[in-house]
Amino acid sequence: MAIGRRPKRTLARLAVLVVASTVIFKFVLLPIRVVGYSMEPTFHNRAVNFINRLAYVRGLPRRGDVVGIRFSTSPGDTFHLLLLKRVVGLPGETISFSGGHVCVNGERQDEPYLKLPSDWNVPGKTLGPEEYYFVGDNRSMPPDQHEHGIAERARIVGRVLWKGND
Amino acid sequence: MKLIVRLILLAGLLALAVWSWGFFFPTPQKIIEKRLVKLARLASFSSKDGNIKRLADTERISLLLAQNIQVVVDIPGGKQTMFDNREELLQAALAARPAVKDLVVQFTDIGVVVNSDRKSAAALLTLKAKIGADADWLIEELRFTLKNTNDDWLITRVETVKPLR
Repeated sequence: MAIGRRPKRTLARLAVLVVASTVIFKFVLLPIRVVGYSMEPTFHNRAVNFINRLAYVRGLPRRGDVVGIRFSTSPGDTFHLLLLKRVVGLPGETISFSGGHVCVNGERQDEPYLKLPSDWNVPGKTLGPEEYYFVGDNRSMPPDQHEHGIAERARIVGRVLWKGND
Repeated sequence: MKLIVRLILLAGLLALAVWSWGFFFPTPQKIIEKRLVKLARLASFSSKDGNIKRLADTERISLLLAQNIQVVVDIPGGKQTMFDNREELLQAALAARPAVKDLVVQFTDIGVVVNSDRKSAAALLTLKAKIGADADWLIEELRFTLKNTNDDWLITRVETVKPLR
């Protein structure tokens, strides 16, 4: 094994590399692999990406952001499975769907990322002060077969790093 | 250099001591977590398993469940399914087995909260299940409720939780 002429220094470098990688890929950029088709065509099945966990340290999620949502709200900071969805509703708003498009307080939104046909018509839901509405970009299936709806701010892990085919 | 070696040895010994303490005197959280992992392992089966193993696994599962266990399953695109006692649940599981060749069940991100009376607890986790070798993973959030009876943590309720409602 080649560890150089200064093994101590090599070991120290290795230790720094391991610690830095662990910190970065656990607390800053969470590596993810997309599984499923609910974000098609923006994010394809098996695509690799990162979740920026510091994205909302200073600001709040905005409409249009694609975020990672933790499944379990169990205590601790471990999560191996996330939902990848787009934020379409902000706290206090009433969100409904008409002809597949999101309506905010009854007003139909322009959604350029929506490429697949959809005929969703879903009655309005009003969000609480800490609540957001999430939905995938692929609304070609019936609404009851697509995971979408309201979750608290605390479930948002961060924003996706690469924006995909927006 | 000697000092560094001594410090490393000391840190190693400390880590060993902490690990040993946790191994020999596990907390209720750790006991419950192990039980849930065991449940997932026992619930998994493959087409290669014989009938004796399947029956033995079902018997072992029954030891983890309370007699009056309640199970409420509500997954997107499916209808709500409920079970009100252990026998009903196990019979349904045994009846479903011939129709399913392989089942892989995994529980990840297990978080356990033991109530202050130390007689009851709740566990939130993410279920990963694969029905059949080539199927997609089914992913659901589950909430388990457990009670401590004679130093034995039994599962009294299992329900699906919708992360988006």
